[in-house]
Amino acid sequence: MKSYLIMRLLRSFISLTLVMSIVFSLIYTAIPKDRVFYTDTNIEKLQKRPDDLTNYKHLQWARLGFTEYKTLAEFCRESGALDLSACNDSGSDDARLFFEKYLSLGFTVEAFPQSGTLFAYREIPNYRRILNFWGNLFQVENVFAKGSGLHFGRDFNGNLALIGRGTRHKYLIYANGAFPFIHQNLVRISLGQSYPTYRGQDVVQVISGRQGRKVVQQARLGNGEVVETALDLHSCRYNENPSLQLLGMFPDGFSDCSPMRRGPSMLAISFILGFGSLVLSYGIGLPLGVLMASHQGKWIDRLGQAYIIVMMSVPSLAYVVLIRYLGGRYGGLPTMFALYGSQDIRSFMLPTLSLAIGSVAGRMMWMRRYMVDQSSQDYVRFARATGLGEGRIFSRHIFRNAIGPIAHGLPAAVIFTLSGALITESVYGIPGMGKLLPDSIAVYNNTMVIGITFFFTVLSILSTLLGDMLLAILDPRIALYDKHKAGKRRKKP
Amino acid sequence: MAVILKVEGLEVEFSVRGQRLKAIRKASLDLYEKETLAIVGESGSGKSVLIKSLTGMLEENGEITKGSIKFEGMDLATLKKNSQWQGIRGKKIATVFQDPMTALNPMRRVGSQIEEAIQLHSGESRKSARKKAIELMEKVGIEGAASRFSQYPHEFSGGMRQRIVIAIALACQPKVLLCDEPTTALDVRVQAQILDLISGLQEELGLTVIYITHDLGVVASVADRVAIMYAGQIVEYGGVEDIFYRCAHPYTWALLSSLPQLAFGNEGIYAIGGTPPSLYHDIKGDAFAPRNPYALKIDFEEEPPFFKVGDGHYAKTWLMDPRAPKVKRPKALQNLHGRLKEIYP
Repeated sequence: MKSYLIMRLLRSFISLTLVMSIVFSLIYTAIPKDRVFYTDTNIEKLQKRPDDLTNYKHLQWARLGFTEYKTLAEFCRESGALDLSACNDSGSDDARLFFEKYLSLGFTVEAFPQSGTLFAYREIPNYRRILNFWGNLFQVENVFAKGSGLHFGRDFNGNLALIGRGTRHKYLIYANGAFPFIHQNLVRISLGQSYPTYRGQDVVQVISGRQGRKVVQQARLGNGEVVETALDLHSCRYNENPSLQLLGMFPDGFSDCSPMRRGPSMLAISFILGFGSLVLSYGIGLPLGVLMASHQGKWIDRLGQAYIIVMMSVPSLAYVVLIRYLGGRYGGLPTMFALYGSQDIRSFMLPTLSLAIGSVAGRMMWMRRYMVDQSSQDYVRFARATGLGEGRIFSRHIFRNAIGPIAHGLPAAVIFTLSGALITESVYGIPGMGKLLPDSIAVYNNTMVIGITFFFTVLSILSTLLGDMLLAILDPRIALYDKHKAGKRRKKP
Repeated sequence: MAVILKVEGLEVEFSVRGQRLKAIRKASLDLYEKETLAIVGESGSGKSVLIKSLTGMLEENGEITKGSIKFEGMDLATLKKNSQWQGIRGKKIATVFQDPMTALNPMRRVGSQIEEAIQLHSGESRKSARKKAIELMEKVGIEGAASRFSQYPHEFSGGMRQRIVIAIALACQPKVLLCDEPTTALDVRVQAQILDLISGLQEELGLTVIYITHDLGVVASVADRVAIMYAGQIVEYGGVEDIFYRCAHPYTWALLSSLPQLAFGNEGIYAIGGTPPSLYHDIKGDAFAPRNPYALKIDFEEEPPFFKVGDGHYAKTWLMDPRAPKVKRPKALQNLHGRLKEIYP
């Protein structure tokens, strides 16, 4: 079992790598580089300053992992040239040095349209992009680097915290009132910087960070001042280029803090919504499927089948909108999520119902189908011939055996609530995961597309694994063995 | 010998795509206490349907339209609902099916399946049912029953599974055991073991057993009496020796002649020509007549009655009528006793 799991995880990792390779090559080769500026308003502003425009574009490309980019000015600064403006001149010795060095490295060297000073860029090969992605996936705080250290201390609320020095985050381990109460910043997962939407945030931050209105609270700043602030002081990272004002507020330099918000994250909203509808759809669909199977061919079965056919053939948009209308008109429930917001349970009612009503049909269909499958098996005939009552045959034999394949799909159903529901979320204007991928594709937010693809791939790998494990627990005929290993084991005397 | 179960003029019909199919056409049968009766016939002759109708296990589209099944003062032919059958099935009349690979619930431990059957009619506690289940497993010849109790069906071989199936069938101490080709799905060596097991249990428990089979070897080794079925009717019945050595119905002749063991070295294996009649239409005369090389004119016009051949041996053929011409039995069946002795010394 253990070796099976290891092999299985290894295979999962290989398929994950394959998926990422395909996505990377598709995105970086099939989409023209210029498309990333499709919705960037800065481009419009910079139209009149061609040098800045060129620089801006190349900087973004470099940040997004398309290219490596170097300007002559940077080169001069790094080489420690005494007269920067002289060095910057395209006729200088340094410029010739720059030209020769980067040409030999395979860069394309060009001149800015107005000033004529030089810059160089080169495409990053796809394998490097993928390696960079994997390399940056886990961002571990290096507490052993020179000049770094850590100690236990009190945070701004007076709680015990593990505090870093010379690290990226100030609070490496800290406690607060939010689930799961003890948090860490030692290892963070990074899927890259989002651009052009959710600019400057990490993809992980976008999908898992809280959203909505900011929360203002009292906190004691580093300079001893007690202020009302909307910043989440636990999130503060070291700021390389702090303004004087920030430096005044945060003398230790950890001044890059993100705001604290009230609402649940995209992931959490989609999960609440999805899980609610999941419970509803299983809770209603499975019993109805059982009922249909036990009244096979009777009117109740036909009614159920009619419902299934209607729900399967009507586009979900139609009944989502219908429920929204009916719920708003006769139930007095909010038809837009933002009306009461994420803090009010009423906001989730109609969306949950909308999601559940369609999937109930699927649960009914499969449950009925598995039950009917089982009831025509030989062992059911034999159990009947033994004199077992229909009720007992139904509960102890048919239902029990039919629940296996249902259970197999359960982890996937739970996990995939995290991927959100596009139509329902769009209709009710819910800030969940559903719209994120299509929206990101529309604005060429490549990092986001890659990050979400990665996330979804991991989810599906995880859910099939869990489903298989659950099935192996329920069905005695299935054992999680490596075929190869099992063969070896059998040979042993 | 006392008659334990009496089938009289039984007719069973199925509705298949709007058509009526008459699978059993006026079959009558007496089953004597503690005997072993073998019902033999080709596929589609109605053996299984006959057996199923004895425990009300007909498919949903099938029903008994005429006749009676008398058992312990009841007429089983009138029982309709599954709940009415519950005192009979398993408790009085148990069935062993053909394929042991599929007859057990693959998701449940064999022990709990036997236990379930024991508890069913006796209302015993879990603990004593468990003890009895283990005893039963030992009785059907499963070694290390206590440890195999909690294994799953897939951990048993086909023969062992059939033993479990038999254990479950016997769990409620039935009077009659119906065996629907219990050895067809097993290999020859295991076949013999299972047949021995059933015979042994029959003697020990005083069971009455009905076998359904097309294996005449099985018939010869276990049966006291044999009934030959053709096109939904019993065409000849009698003691096992009567059927093998003194059979009178041309269909029985054909059936025996088609045994590959009886083929002469230089001749091909005998096969019955033609196909069985369609049961969707009423059959005029003797159903076997179109395939019968000995058919008389009257066979095509009128259905023959049963003629007495010997003590307890009857055949439903006009050939037994005193007015019929004398015909010789096929060559393959002449001196069958001597020839069988040669084949199985």
